[in-house]
Amino acid sequence: MRRGLIARSRAELPDAVFDGRLERLRAAMAGLDALLVYTNNTRPAGVSWLVGFIPYWSEAMLVLPRTGPPVLVVALTFRVKPWIERTSRVAEVVFNPRIGIETARLIAAKKADAAVGVVDFDHLSAGIADDLREAGPRLVFSDASELFAALRASADPAEITLTARASSIAASALSRIDPREPGIGAIVAAVEGEARRLGAEEVYVAAAPDLARDRRLMRFESGPADEPALGARLAVRASVAYKGSWVRRVVTIERDTMASRAEKAAAAFAEAVARLPDDRALSQFASFMVEGCRLSQPLEALMGSGVAEPRAPAAGAVVSVQACIEADGGPFLFGAPALLGARGETASTFV
Amino acid sequence: MPANDTTLGDARRQRLLGAMEAAGIDEIVVYGNAWQADYLRYVADFGILEGHGIAVISADGATELFLDSATDAERAEVEAPSVTVRRAGDIARAVGARLDRVANHRLAAAPRRFLPKWLADAERSFTIEDGTALLDKLLMHKLPAEIDAIRCAARIADDAYGEFVKAVAPGRRQYEIVADLEAYLRRRGCPDNFMIIGSGGKDVFGMTPPSERRIAAGDLVTTELTPAVEGYYVQICRTLVAGKATPAQAGAFAIYREALEAGIAAVKPGATAADVARAENDVFRRYGLGDYVTSKYTRVRGHGIGLFCDSKPHILEDVDTELSPGMALIVHPNTYHPEVGYLVLGDAVVVTQTGVEVLCRTPRQLFEVPA
Repeated sequence: MRRGLIARSRAELPDAVFDGRLERLRAAMAGLDALLVYTNNTRPAGVSWLVGFIPYWSEAMLVLPRTGPPVLVVALTFRVKPWIERTSRVAEVVFNPRIGIETARLIAAKKADAAVGVVDFDHLSAGIADDLREAGPRLVFSDASELFAALRASADPAEITLTARASSIAASALSRIDPREPGIGAIVAAVEGEARRLGAEEVYVAAAPDLARDRRLMRFESGPADEPALGARLAVRASVAYKGSWVRRVVTIERDTMASRAEKAAAAFAEAVARLPDDRALSQFASFMVEGCRLSQPLEALMGSGVAEPRAPAAGAVVSVQACIEADGGPFLFGAPALLGARGETASTFV
Repeated sequence: MPANDTTLGDARRQRLLGAMEAAGIDEIVVYGNAWQADYLRYVADFGILEGHGIAVISADGATELFLDSATDAERAEVEAPSVTVRRAGDIARAVGARLDRVANHRLAAAPRRFLPKWLADAERSFTIEDGTALLDKLLMHKLPAEIDAIRCAARIADDAYGEFVKAVAPGRRQYEIVADLEAYLRRRGCPDNFMIIGSGGKDVFGMTPPSERRIAAGDLVTTELTPAVEGYYVQICRTLVAGKATPAQAGAFAIYREALEAGIAAVKPGATAADVARAENDVFRRYGLGDYVTSKYTRVRGHGIGLFCDSKPHILEDVDTELSPGMALIVHPNTYHPEVGYLVLGDAVVVTQTGVEVLCRTPRQLFEVPA
């Protein structure tokens, strides 16, 4: 559950940003009377991109009619209405624990046989889908994922600015790692505390405490007495959200030497990222992954050594890239967000 | 250490398999995400953070865990070694392909309403019954080892509230206070916490995630802290004043303490959730505050705790769930008071053979910090 800062900044996200995104979406809704975008705290990115709403708890459905303002149907109680109005740009909020029933009623009241597009329809909860059909038996539902993904693919200036801020928070948080700390818990606490103090909406910290033993990044669920020993080299990943924009940064820390042996590997990583969406350079590494937002999952695997059906990110997309590089007695883990260039241009890493 | 305790995880798995056998279910399909993570944690012992997760458990105990998040799949390989992890971009079709192989078996799902629509559609070769009630029963009535984990979490919650009191000071923003608490909990090895906060006076009607609002002298500062140990959440609710409590604040708080004590006294085997809620609410009604125990001002008068921080049963006057030993609850008469604003006070308890064990040790007082 979210317990970081959820607040709307009109300087960072003026009304015009949301209005522009909604207008672009409406313009693409040929043949549809309404579009539905579902949100909960694990799949918030579609709705937060359109109206800024981020549920810390529970679930909601954004109803976007082809004409008229969007309506947010939420399963939260009426008592949180002021909070929703403070943190998002929605003109009308309707409260009902059965969001599918309420959503279908709203649409069917205007047109009983409306054509309704649903983003990521196949993965919508079965209970909500049943409720939509029950309350709107003549509504005609279809999947609108490709329509939405095409519009969402390239970042607009507001998203780039928020991504830069999220990246900056992640970098500052990771810079708080003190290699002299005796255990991983203190390291994780330093990173997470700093990210939240800088205004992160959410932060997930994972670590590989001894890269020589295991390069997989994990979460820790034990007190100081049971912590695993730190190795000579460890890696820490901070997945940070700031006002709906998510990034991942990964650093490798060497505890036994002041002169980092990771510089050469870091340079190779940056060179490979610059070539995206061409992933041939990244493919030379032991493993890599490129994540971005298509629909409502903030960071979805798009390309990578373990991705069976890759989807190349669009020109102008923001992505987060992770790689494991075997070099100079490695492995070294790196990760950073990047902005892909227009066609023919190189990508640029957020620093 | 990996985020699981194989002894506890194995004990849960055995209990699940027994329940499946008794119900004649061949395979159970269990859904989870970071919001509704309890069912998945119960069967796969994995704390999901990103994306969808679906576990398929066979009658012989073999468990396959399908995850659509690549980072969570990597974590699961380390943190849940007793299951077979499968990463799939389209988790619905990946699980569908798995279930096609056993389409003639009796399949159930929990919670079925959360399954991806594609999996539950009538066009599939298999039919999935609703097995939610089977899992709900296991989640609600806990094993002794599960109660032990909740007791451990309660110790951390008590200590964390002490840290909260130290973190609150006039001028600090709500999210900065929460940041301190989260860092403290990570140092204690507690990876998850649900926490909401409120600060102010009569203008505050509830708690939310932290905002940029600064603590001011005279504010009531409310919080609901819910740390987890081995996936098991416990909750504590307390209120403090930035400065010296006014007679009105102290007087109002006394009613909440009386209501909490009445609610806890009503917790015993054979009582119902409604009995507990009624005991709390009767106190408010006696003081002429009956309007403030309605849904206009408060959601629930407590709820179950365990692998979900807000589980069944909800403590409400219309919930007739019978309490029995092994159930863990938070009793919290949190609501708005017309003279001072939103106040909270709540303790976690366990239903025992003879009555109730109170887990929280933090004094039931209106705390004060220098202003």
